[in-house]
Amino acid sequence: MSKFLSRYAAAMDRASVFIGHACSALFFACIAFSALEVVMRYGFDHPTSWSIELTMALCAMAWVLSVGYVTERNRHISITMLELMVGPRVWHWFRLMQILAAIVTVSVFAMAVWDPALRVFSRPEYSGTALNSIQPSLLKVLILVGAILYVLQLLANLVRWVQGTEKASTHGH
Amino acid sequence: MGIEYITILIVASLLALMAIGIPLGVTTLLVSLGTAILYFGERAGFFLVAANVTEVLHKYELIAVPFFVFMANVLERSGIAHTLFESMAILGGRFRGSVAVQTTIVAVILAAMSGIMGGEIVMLGLIALPQMLRLGYDRKLSIGIICAAGALATLIPPSVVLIVYGLAAQVSITKLFAASAVPGLLLASLFITYILVRVRLNPAMAPIYDIPETGLPFFSRLKFLTGAVLPAVLITVVLGLIYGGIATVTESAAVGAVGALVVSAIQKRLSWTMMRDAMRQTVLTVGSIIWLVLGAVSLIGIYNRIGGGDFLRDLLGSLDIAPILVIVVMMLIVMVLGTFLEWIAILFITVPIFAPVVADLGYDPIWFGVLFAMNIQIYYLSPPFGPACFFLKSVTKDIELQEIFAAVLPFIALQAVGLFLVLFFPQIALWLPSMLGN
Amino acid sequence: DTYTIQTSFNAGDFSTTYLTENWLPKIKEMTDGRVEINLTPSGSVVPSKETPQAVAMGVLDGDWTSVNYFSGQEPAFAILGDLISGYDTPAQMLGFCKDGPGEKVWQKALDAIADGEVQLVGCGPYSREALPARVPIKTFEDLKGKKIRSPEGLASAVFAAAGASPVSIPFSEVYGALEKGIVDAADASAYVNNAATGLNDVAPYPLYPGIHSMPSMELTMNKAKFDELSPEDQKALRDWFYMAMEDLTNVVHEQDEKLAAEDTRKEGVEVIDWPQESRDKMRVVARKEWEKFAEKSDLAKEALDANLEYMKTIGLMN
Ligand code: NA
Ligand code: NA
Repeated sequence: MSKFLSRYAAAMDRASVFIGHACSALFFACIAFSALEVVMRYGFDHPTSWSIELTMALCAMAWVLSVGYVTERNRHISITMLELMVGPRVWHWFRLMQILAAIVTVSVFAMAVWDPALRVFSRPEYSGTALNSIQPSLLKVLILVGAILYVLQLLANLVRWVQGTEKASTHGH
Repeated sequence: MGIEYITILIVASLLALMAIGIPLGVTTLLVSLGTAILYFGERAGFFLVAANVTEVLHKYELIAVPFFVFMANVLERSGIAHTLFESMAILGGRFRGSVAVQTTIVAVILAAMSGIMGGEIVMLGLIALPQMLRLGYDRKLSIGIICAAGALATLIPPSVVLIVYGLAAQVSITKLFAASAVPGLLLASLFITYILVRVRLNPAMAPIYDIPETGLPFFSRLKFLTGAVLPAVLITVVLGLIYGGIATVTESAAVGAVGALVVSAIQKRLSWTMMRDAMRQTVLTVGSIIWLVLGAVSLIGIYNRIGGGDFLRDLLGSLDIAPILVIVVMMLIVMVLGTFLEWIAILFITVPIFAPVVADLGYDPIWFGVLFAMNIQIYYLSPPFGPACFFLKSVTKDIELQEIFAAVLPFIALQAVGLFLVLFFPQIALWLPSMLGN
Repeated sequence: DTYTIQTSFNAGDFSTTYLTENWLPKIKEMTDGRVEINLTPSGSVVPSKETPQAVAMGVLDGDWTSVNYFSGQEPAFAILGDLISGYDTPAQMLGFCKDGPGEKVWQKALDAIADGEVQLVGCGPYSREALPARVPIKTFEDLKGKKIRSPEGLASAVFAAAGASPVSIPFSEVYGALEKGIVDAADASAYVNNAATGLNDVAPYPLYPGIHSMPSMELTMNKAKFDELSPEDQKALRDWFYMAMEDLTNVVHEQDEKLAAEDTRKEGVEVIDWPQESRDKMRVVARKEWEKFAEKSDLAKEALDANLEYMKTIGLMN
């Protein structure tokens, strides 16, 4: 069982990091499309109708799906003032509480975005603009996928906490 | 239960959950889910949270954030800052305190290229601090100037703080950028004045800088200007696009990001690894910011629906004091929150409540946005949660956090002076946007 | 009871202030205090696109909002929300709802997106939108190649068909975009609202009366809460809505006329009124787009047919 769990944690970590790295390519595409729009408008006097909606969809995808990577690296912003006050042993148990609270919250959150996400499969929602893209439906599904990824990576972090193989958290803003 | 008790309950549970180290995004989601379910039941409560959270992903202006973060990461990794510092040091020549003044000026130039705080302080901490210490500069003065000047990145445009403020208060980001430029320079000149006065009073704090190049005649030194030319071009392009109205803030940020890559290519520092690392760092930074925004937006939607916004506005409106003092009270609240909260959390807690009151009192929300950003400058330095101090600590092994905190105190005072100058003389902020408007 | 109703008006704009001051006290009076309404600004509780769902769930008690926002969820709302070049005056289109087949088909479209839990109280427009432009667009032909900001709905399709490039930028960026020429013209609001937000200052060639649109709004309530009201109060609510809209139509029109007349006399401002010939050309193009949108769903077809039928009865079409 323990072996299975540590294999799960390792596999989940790899998946999260892989998706996270893929997200960096998405951001790069966003930058390219936005810069291109400026060139099209001023260089060729020919603004595109798709640039903004496509950029928003790609960016949204990147920052929702990067959640596993962020969680794997323990980069979610939190206040760690008490760490110095309570000492490492007590803080270790605080870590457990933080992981459990996050698992519960994000699971409930996933339930909250569940219905809207499934609804778009029976009744797709379009942007209604000139492009009339499927972007609104896409975002509703994405946020559910993001929440599920978040929970799965939190479970991996929980396994690491139990097995004493947690990664050091890194500061970041 | 009345809204006043609900408010107290919400604030208390937020603080308790944050204190035990639960990520801020999770904390706000938890409290908003709880409130929504209690008030509206599971089905409607879930819908309310889902609708508000999903809407965040539709905010076009938010896309500028990853672009500016990426740009800052490229600048940090490409060595552009290092070259800039070297050329400024040589151009500046010798006078008492010159290195500290040059550090401030380099920080201002970097601030005009970068929209986030952090990278700059790390760079200055790695480049300028050892230089100053080696030359025998006073430790506290050196440390303080790096933290304070490095924090200017989010006051001098472009600035991610101002972008998120613009979203929360629903005001023009371009105008915010225009309004914050002069106050940013004001703070920088306060810092420089302070340095010059201190070293004049106590020459031991800053020995004369002595490298061979500074001894050259002025015209010979001019050739070292090249290191500053490309950054200057990049600043002109990005800010020119924004102020000239040629592109939206988001598009300008994209052009800036591409521009940063071009500059590093010209300086022969562009590599696949550098780009990849800068991009991955961007994913981590932005990925952590977005969950904070999601949680905060959901909490605000619910709090407004249960009448919280009206309650707090009435509360602030019923204060029997002069309107300007209401603003002062708001600034004090932000300052207190700034000692222990993350800036996005402060922004999302206070701005949706304060901004309508500011408008009701007849003040300009653009001006208030500048005051807010200046207050965030104080937040970066003020202990115990002073991110600028943490950043400097992360690159210097032989300096204790306590020493950094002590060193920044005079600079916090200077920031407060700047804040109150803009508070009582709004024209400092509003002059430039009114000029650009015509 | 006090009902929380989310609007598509921005906080503090002319319409909200006018309704709050003049019409909110009246509904309380008309129902002897049984119905009180609290209007909240656009997006304050849920995003504008989500109000029907929010009303269905009971998060909001009702909405009073422009329905172009829903055209991505059900194409019928593009036709109901703004049948471009269809009617000449807001009063005609209010008539489509109040006296014609409008409410019936509207309720059907609402049921499709809100699971039958939202009750339509009344519907219709209160203004013709002006089109702020930074370059002169004097005729139909001038539209060719112009960059025009237009969000959801029929408008962007019609502009595209007329040879312009519809650009989808967020409303918050309209001012800056017009000021600096990112767009040549912008689908914005009534003349008085554009004047208030400063759009007319940066776009000195406003087209007034507008050429394109008359955005239609709805007042709805959560069905369960509406059913709890007595038939008298239900009727009072509907009557009140149409009285308020008719009054608002007149007041806004008066303001529009006054401001446009003032601006016409100003140096550097040219208020453009299209010749009938251009309006006719626009109508031909727009009608083709109506047909296209009507093909997008059965309800859209039904909405268009209902409009055409009513136009015949009032002599707008033969
Ligand atoms: Na900056
Ligand atoms: Na602080």
